[in-house]
Amino acid sequence: MDVPAHRLLLDLLRDEIGLTGTKEGCGTGDCGACTVFLDGKPVNSCLILSGELDGAEIVTIEGLKIGPELHPIQRAFIQDGGAQCGYCTPGMLMMSKALLDENPNPTEEEIRFALSGNLCRCTGYVKIVRAVQDAAAELRRLGADLTPARITSTNMTGSNSWKS
Amino acid sequence: MEELSIVGKPITRVDSKEKVTGEAIYGYDLVLPNMLYGKVVFSTRPHARIKRIHTEKARRYPGVAAVITGKDAPWTHGESVKDKPFLAQDKVRYVGEPVAAVAAEDEDAAQAAAALIEVEYEDLPAYFSPEEACKPGAVSIHQEFGSYRKMEFIVTSPTMPNVCEHFKLRTGEVEKGFRQSDLILEERYSVPIIQHSAMEPHSSHAQVDPETGRVTIWVANDAPFRALHEMAEALRLPKEMIRFVNPLQGGGFGSKGGLKVEPLAVALAYHTKGRPVRVKFNREETFISTLTRHEAVANIKSGVKKDGELLAREMRLFWGAGAYAEKSPTVCIRGSLPAPGPYRIPHVKVDGYAVYTNKPVAGSYRGYGIPQGAWACEQHMDELAKRLGLDPLEFRLKNVYVDGDVSYWGEKLHSVGLKETLLKAAEAIEWGKKISRVEGFKSLRVGKGLACISKPTRTPTTSAAGVLVDSKGEVAVLAGTVEIGQGSNTILSQVAAEELKVPMDKVRMAPLDTDVIPFDASTTSSRSTYHMGNAVRRAAIDAREKLAEMASPMLEARKEDLAFSDGRVFLKDHPQMGIPIGDVIRRKLGTSGVLRGAGSYTYEIGKDLDLETGHSDHASAFYMYATQAAEVAVDEETGRVRLLRMSAAHDVGKAINPLNCVAQIEGGLAMGIGSALHEELVIDEKGKARNPSFLDYHLVTSLDLPKMIPIIVECPEPEGPYGAKGLGEPGLAPTPAAIGNAVADALGIRIYDLPLTPERVYWAIEGKKKSG
Repeated sequence: MDVPAHRLLLDLLRDEIGLTGTKEGCGTGDCGACTVFLDGKPVNSCLILSGELDGAEIVTIEGLKIGPELHPIQRAFIQDGGAQCGYCTPGMLMMSKALLDENPNPTEEEIRFALSGNLCRCTGYVKIVRAVQDAAAELRRLGADLTPARITSTNMTGSNSWKS
Repeated sequence: MEELSIVGKPITRVDSKEKVTGEAIYGYDLVLPNMLYGKVVFSTRPHARIKRIHTEKARRYPGVAAVITGKDAPWTHGESVKDKPFLAQDKVRYVGEPVAAVAAEDEDAAQAAAALIEVEYEDLPAYFSPEEACKPGAVSIHQEFGSYRKMEFIVTSPTMPNVCEHFKLRTGEVEKGFRQSDLILEERYSVPIIQHSAMEPHSSHAQVDPETGRVTIWVANDAPFRALHEMAEALRLPKEMIRFVNPLQGGGFGSKGGLKVEPLAVALAYHTKGRPVRVKFNREETFISTLTRHEAVANIKSGVKKDGELLAREMRLFWGAGAYAEKSPTVCIRGSLPAPGPYRIPHVKVDGYAVYTNKPVAGSYRGYGIPQGAWACEQHMDELAKRLGLDPLEFRLKNVYVDGDVSYWGEKLHSVGLKETLLKAAEAIEWGKKISRVEGFKSLRVGKGLACISKPTRTPTTSAAGVLVDSKGEVAVLAGTVEIGQGSNTILSQVAAEELKVPMDKVRMAPLDTDVIPFDASTTSSRSTYHMGNAVRRAAIDAREKLAEMASPMLEARKEDLAFSDGRVFLKDHPQMGIPIGDVIRRKLGTSGVLRGAGSYTYEIGKDLDLETGHSDHASAFYMYATQAAEVAVDEETGRVRLLRMSAAHDVGKAINPLNCVAQIEGGLAMGIGSALHEELVIDEKGKARNPSFLDYHLVTSLDLPKMIPIIVECPEPEGPYGAKGLGEPGLAPTPAAIGNAVADALGIRIYDLPLTPERVYWAIEGKKKSG
């Protein structure tokens, strides 16, 4: 797949590859709805140009599941009502995963800080924060039994061309 | 009453799974085969005549399929006044008004071509506040107003040409009431423009069949049947020539009803030879060119007796409609009517004016005019209490509506849970316990405040529903209620599951397509649980009755002797004698057989308000009551208002799903806090929005919120399903006033204008220091 270097990662994912799970809320890096993992780090995909992606590994919400199973973070969002309209949810989940990868036992304040760049207009964040707390507890309980998230990623090799 | 097994339970949402996996397809995600990409050119002037539009360069740009201007789309629309053109006709009336549009093979080409369109303007005088636009001698923003098609209830003003609705309430004689009063207080409050900021920006897809002329619109619209009606009227087509299909909606809060991007997509689709067109607004375009909440100025004057008895209240409210009427007339009516508050007052006079300005279009926003009125009335109540030496809670308890009261609009009230909300919200923040300082923080002053509201719902309206039961015992619910995040799919599934006595996982909501789904008035006004809940309940009962009739000979029992549970129909006295409902259908109708149940609900006795007095003995199918209470710490050195805790007690009638009710309260409260402390869409002296982005327009983040204490009060509404009322809108309505009252309690300073930014509070503190 040939892609112009100026194409945003967000548009590349949504329009060229057809992965619309990553949401566009603002296009200016202010809402976090388009959060994906770029080489293991969470980024706003609306701020990344395709030209920057040589050899990069991208993980989107579509890759959060562990095989056919929902990730514990996804299960916690369902259980606790962390999604209402659901439009911010993919970004919230990716950012939550990034937090829990680094800090398996965050305080409420740490969760609120980690998610402060992800806007939600529906929930008042209460149930999102609780879901992350519950997911953290569940992940700790599962411990080493949980296979690391080896999930569908799209690898990029060569400049400005995609292979999937 | 029969015991409920599903209604009343904290069931998790039925739509979560597709949302956490990214599989859910929203309007903004939708891709249609062979579609073209639209881009719109917006006005850069607040009020101007269009001299010329240069489209030649855009037309020649590679990949461009269509370039259109007003003359290619000679239609106007509007819910109550047909004043809004699909594309500007000769004139623009606000910065952000669509002037031209392009359809091209890809987004890049559409954007590049749109940038090549040049518009020549001749500026006209512009108005940027509703009061200014009402001044004597003000030029009419809509010279053609008299010739517009409009609803019969619209009342205009002979002296103020920019008034697109004048609401009047007349009860008793206010002058007499003032004469009898021991204390009279007059104040002026204001609320700025804010924007809904649903996380999904606006978009619409449209296609016009070149053979039949039939128009199909794919859009996340919260009232597809009303939008269809408005589109049919605009295009002067019979309704069956138009179809709305609803993909999932990423929030709305009032911004995604009526017609927003739809007219642009349709206008383009008439010029693309049958190819579908997608028009997406980016965030900035969503801020300036879809909808905003009314800025409002409320003048309020009250007369009270020494003992706290309210005698008279007079209000004049100016609602800034922006450049087009949209829902302003009804926001003005339904926001002005209860603006004097949920109190027994013998003498009341209200004048509400919806006024055209040259600002972005204002319309429905969660709360529909109640928050603006409450910001004025509820702070005014505290100022009265202060002067009377009364506790604000006691003062309210003395005057609030209780069952049997006749409201000042002439309606005998029932199921009034207001007192209970007041007491519970106050108790949750330890109302009587006063702390004015925080240990170790010399500059912090602590205060508490509360505010209460009542809110009517749109009346009279109709909802219709169907249920389909198949031979596997699975149930599909056909309902025109749009799942916008509020949880309606879960609530309506619960109702169907409850009445058909099937497990929740056997129920699914059918996709929303106006070609096949029965009529529903709108997903607005907190009306769905009550109206559609009743309709789905009736449809499910209809299906259950039919099932009982079919099962009766199979079980060799009379219909009356049958009962339903867990997907089975059986003999009441011998529960082991029964069959799964799917088997009943299979045996009677065959494996592919489907049983249909139908139901509808209209609040039959609902009556329109009298145009001269504003009176109606059944103005609303039900009323929602709520009280919120805030404890704040204000930093005297910086002016920053820090929320310590907030309670929110809401009378929901009956919580069909307590988990979802709490979610609605928390979300509403957060939105209310944003509007209280920092939200404002700033329009400059040239009519341009200064902060149309999430960087500069401060939405509440996860770090901005206090401890929230949601409280469910259940004062059942006899007509509601299982006693339910509504809940969605009141969540944010009393919030700013409760916080304003807490700030006044902390500082001894009343602040009359929103939002309570550190800057505004700081200058109020400085002002008080100077005046001593």
